[in-house]
Amino acid sequence: MVTEVALLLSVALLVTIIAAIFSKSISVTVIMLFYASLVLGVIFTIYQAVVVGLLHITMFAGAMSVMLMTVVLMTGESKLDIGNRKLAALLATITILIVAASSYSLFSGASSLPQSPSQSTEGILAFVWMFRPWDLLILVIIFAAAMIGVVNLLSKEERA
Amino acid sequence: MITDQTVFATTATILFFLGLFSMFYSRNLLKTIISFQIVVFGANLALFSSGLGHASNLMANTLVLFSIVVGASVEAVALALIVLVHRAYGTLDPWKIKRLRH
Repeated sequence: MVTEVALLLSVALLVTIIAAIFSKSISVTVIMLFYASLVLGVIFTIYQAVVVGLLHITMFAGAMSVMLMTVVLMTGESKLDIGNRKLAALLATITILIVAASSYSLFSGASSLPQSPSQSTEGILAFVWMFRPWDLLILVIIFAAAMIGVVNLLSKEERA
Repeated sequence: MITDQTVFATTATILFFLGLFSMFYSRNLLKTIISFQIVVFGANLALFSSGLGHASNLMANTLVLFSIVVGASVEAVALALIVLVHRAYGTLDPWKIKRLRH
């Protein structure tokens, strides 16, 4: 039952990403990317990582989608050229098949991250987890810097 | 036996390589940034799936948090650079930009 949910969410994620990659219109790409961010956030949230899921949705489905839309409107780029679409689709299908087969055989028997990290590693991780608001602060600073850069650029153009 | 971890790890790998493929194949800088975002999604899902099935997946959650912060920051700066490039050259096609520079 749980695996069915995982399969369903994974298929939804893959479908939205493939639609985003192969769509001709940039607005469709941005919308599909928004849905993909939402699905990934839901995956994190369902599997007990609520903070990570909410941060992911806020960051990618919220802030990054708005920033992408802003850039699209500012640059006026509406069409996305991906070259020969049939060839691209064929190559992507082959990539998916090869990667799916190899990664399944790789991950089905492989061990994951160590179950009990060493005490020093655990201490560092606990410290990082305790001060996770700093991550948000860094994000806000970088977003503000990027926005100030763009505004400065536009104001220079208006003056010229 | 298919587990959630296997499903998510496989999906993450597909996402990563699809993003990488699209990044190299696209002829638009905006599309390259979108592909980079897909690669980040793949990396996030791979990190997250590595922590599934354990009582405490603090390590995986912390790494995903870091990955989200780094990915979003890089993307924000790259989008600002794209606006700059568009103002300077009037196009987002890397080949045209390369020609215009000479």
